[in-house]
Amino acid sequence: MKKKNVKKYITTLTPLFGLLVLFAAFLILGKMRDINISYGLKSIFNQSVVVAVVATGAIFIYTLGSFDISLGASVAVSALIGGMVYNKTGSLAAMLFVCVGVAVLVGLFNSVLASVFNLPVFVTTIAMLSVLNALVLVLIKINGTGSEIAVPAAAVKALNTTTFKIIVLVIYLLLCIFIFSFTKIGRMQKFQCCNPICAKLSGISEKKMAVIAFAMSGIGVGLGAFLSIVYAPTLTRNTASSVGMNVIIAIVFGGMPVSGGARSKIYAAVIGAFSMTLLSQIMVMFNLNSGIGQMVKAAIFILVVFLATSDQRGKMLPR
Amino acid sequence: MKKFLALLLAAVLSVSLLTGCGDENKGGTGGGNSSTTPNASGTESNDTNTGLDMSKTIKMGILVSDATSAEALAFRNYYTEYIQEHYNVELIYSDELTDAAGETSAIDTFITNNCQVIISFSSFDRAAQIQQCEDAGVYYAVATGTLTEEEYETYKTYEHYIGAIGPSLDVEFETGYNMAKHYLDQGKTNFAIFGGAIPYYTEMHIYRAAGMLTAMVEAGGEGANYKGATDKMSIIGQIFADGEVTTGEIGNINISGYVGGYDMDDAWFGKCAQMAQTPGLEVILAVGNGSDFFGTAAAGTDVLIASVDAYASSYGEAMEAGMLDYLAGKFSASIGPIFIASYRAALGSPIRTSEGNALALSQGYWIATSAEEFNTYYAVDSSVDSPAYTKELLDTLLTADYAAFEKFVSQYSFEEIQKMK
Repeated sequence: MKKKNVKKYITTLTPLFGLLVLFAAFLILGKMRDINISYGLKSIFNQSVVVAVVATGAIFIYTLGSFDISLGASVAVSALIGGMVYNKTGSLAAMLFVCVGVAVLVGLFNSVLASVFNLPVFVTTIAMLSVLNALVLVLIKINGTGSEIAVPAAAVKALNTTTFKIIVLVIYLLLCIFIFSFTKIGRMQKFQCCNPICAKLSGISEKKMAVIAFAMSGIGVGLGAFLSIVYAPTLTRNTASSVGMNVIIAIVFGGMPVSGGARSKIYAAVIGAFSMTLLSQIMVMFNLNSGIGQMVKAAIFILVVFLATSDQRGKMLPR
Repeated sequence: MKKFLALLLAAVLSVSLLTGCGDENKGGTGGGNSSTTPNASGTESNDTNTGLDMSKTIKMGILVSDATSAEALAFRNYYTEYIQEHYNVELIYSDELTDAAGETSAIDTFITNNCQVIISFSSFDRAAQIQQCEDAGVYYAVATGTLTEEEYETYKTYEHYIGAIGPSLDVEFETGYNMAKHYLDQGKTNFAIFGGAIPYYTEMHIYRAAGMLTAMVEAGGEGANYKGATDKMSIIGQIFADGEVTTGEIGNINISGYVGGYDMDDAWFGKCAQMAQTPGLEVILAVGNGSDFFGTAAAGTDVLIASVDAYASSYGEAMEAGMLDYLAGKFSASIGPIFIASYRAALGSPIRTSEGNALALSQGYWIATSAEEFNTYYAVDSSVDSPAYTKELLDTLLTADYAAFEKFVSQYSFEEIQKMK
């Protein structure tokens, strides 16, 4: 194998190596410190799955070189409306349908706004973030139950299992991998980001790509909202408030170039989401105060991202 | 090849960095075969006075939804600088939690790390926390505040629910009531109210505001009412319905200004300043921290500010500077008794009511109405050598029965605690 190819594989696989190293560290250190490893693994999955699902969908937006900061708020609004629908209908299917439907609508609205006004997607998502945050407060207020919208815990208990969450994550991930890697949509999206003019001259519609990206992301947001309810059925104004930032970190941590384009990786989000949670769990094992813990996490984050993107700093596109 | 080496080095460094971080913990935490050593104060392995085996380090997880306020810092300081130094415990703090999902995740993390007890300062979903801990066989205690009656009835018999000690909603109501009455008795008639988290429907703030309004209705003369409401429950209901306090007259008492929320942007600070400078205003009653938000704007005027929070140095400075006139503050050691109840549970000697139920004990605030009074209280409250509840005092609870425990908690005023020492 050529030296260049070895280098390419190593840098490509660095986030995966990072995940494996963190996983090994968790097991070894966990064993040394006699923690409850099996419970911990279940906990890590539970804590990662929402971010993994939402971030996987968001890869479609990032691939276009865009950036959506309203994803967390969109999860919150979808979950709140889904919760309200469950409380009216008693149907989990209706709740799932509404969560996904609302999230897709929000995503499509974002893309249409960007298309109609010809604005950068980032700008429209800033506006949407404010709108959605306000909507969260309105929804909680009109629900008339004080500070929360709560789905009965008993109603979602049967779904709050690792098996169910694995099924949701795997099905959605496979769908995204299929669309991203085995259809022309994925290729067009990468092309669109790499060279918009060439893409346009080749007949690729920028607007269509944006709509598809936001629709796919919306499905992830909706599923994330549904899983959020299943995990913690009491929804407040702060529900999913950390999801938006965690999605961004997970995507970058997983080796996805922020600039999108040809080097985009659909699996980056899953790797990043689980790496982040593993890192947090390891920090807790040492009971570092949150300031030091955050600094250590930040240092490791920068190290992994530096290594993972070391082949992306050239000016040439991959070939 | 250089890149490969860099990667390898990075991996080794990451693991060694993480491994090397562990030495800060005392007592060989968590290790099943680690030998725990007596702490600085020399807790004995088998305490002959208590009959409790305190040789093993007990891990406790602390859930926090606020890591930066004066109150939160004071509580944390008491636990980490005093309790952890005097008892054979390791306290693991969560990050600042923002929602129910965060609470669930944090509890999972604590259980993974073999915490035997979880003490919660976070209340996004109490019911879920209690249930999660019961299912996992981990003890759970509410650090401050109490459950609603309905919640208590549901969970009081849970084996792993230790209970709650803190200001009940009735105490919160009384706190607001007494604050307003303090000024009404002085003949003040023109008030403004800072509603804190009322727009977010935070119950304790609503109850405090309701207490203030109830006092005004009582002092407002014949026919005085707040939007038609004249009694405690209807006033509480009205605030819940509105999500705010409405300005206007309550008989001959005037509420000339209201600001709620914690938007903390320029517009919000502008509203605060405007309210503090309302012509004719005499007193600002805050359901939370008032001096930080209104003190500067009110400086140089005759407007008096009253707050509910904790004993922190900033409030002493505010009182000295005339920016704070009245403080109903939690004292940091108030979380000592719930620690002892938690510790006892972990050591196999849980304390229950005579009916075998979990604790539900109420505790109030220390009230300071002058800088001198504040300084007296603060000197004790901030001490890491001799806080309000010292080890000697808390140790009396290790073997106390429920009646003695309840009596101890009920004597929470500064003077009563000093008398106990």
